Amino acid sequence: MQQTHASNHRIRPCTWVLLVLLALTLAAWGVGQMKLGGLTVVSAILFSTLLKGQMVVDFFMGLIRVRPFWRILMFSYLFIVIALIWVAYFIGLD
Amino acid sequence: MSDVVSPTPEPEGYYPPGDFALWIFIFAELLVFGIFFLAYAFARSANVEMFNASQLQINQLSGAVNTLILITSSYFVVRAVAAIRVDDRKRCVLWLYAAIAMGALFLVVKMVEFYQADAAGIGMETNTFFMFYLSLTFFHFMHVIMAMVILAAIVLKARRGGYSAHDHTGVETGASYWHMIDLLWIILFPLVYVIR
Repeated sequence: MQQTHASNHRIRPCTWVLLVLLALTLAAWGVGQMKLGGLTVVSAILFSTLLKGQMVVDFFMGLIRVRPFWRILMFSYLFIVIALIWVAYFIGLD
Repeated sequence: MSDVVSPTPEPEGYYPPGDFALWIFIFAELLVFGIFFLAYAFARSANVEMFNASQLQINQLSGAVNTLILITSSYFVVRAVAAIRVDDRKRCVLWLYAAIAMGALFLVVKMVEFYQADAAGIGMETNTFFMFYLSLTFFHFMHVIMAMVILAAIVLKARRGGYSAHDHTGVETGASYWHMIDLLWIILFPLVYVIR
């Protein structure tokens, strides 16, 4: 019973995920407010977007608990779209 | 900050949670939005100065607030699914109401943003940036409305006792669609509002 009582006061993993997602969003907004640009800044923002997307896929959609194929499929989507956005940004630097 | 931990482990499966037919729809939606995102990104690469100058005219704060709203709403949906998995129908309905309320708040913030753009004389014809900005965000806006209708239908069924710990595929299906809406905005926000 004691163990159950203790576990009731544990923070759920999805609550930690929420806090990380909110923090990364605020960080991206801060970068936007400072009107920062350049390859390094944009690479960091896009990497955090990939991270946020995969966290939603894994922990909110719950794909971390199903056959790895679906998680890999969603990661591939996120990676390809975000990588191509990076390529487009890189082309625009010229 | 402490939450109640689900006493039962969440199920593992061969297919993603919810109705598989909806997942086919989700992948189709992701593909359409993906093409839209890349069209924006490559159009920007051809006219960086104009896109950067135009981006300064949009309300970045409302974009960030809407991101926080959608992420939080997704969390509420996660809690609704967790509640129905332990047969707590009342709590499931309450979490879904909270998610729908956050969706409504998203729509209000977005409508204020559209109104501000309209008041500033900004339209689809203003330039390529605004054509993409308005069409992309409006397309997403319509999807939020559709996702809210889906959640509302789930609430109605849940209130009538239509879901249980053993039969809650409908809740998981609606939840998956809602998370897709969140996922798309997570890409859209930095792409349109932040990157310069």
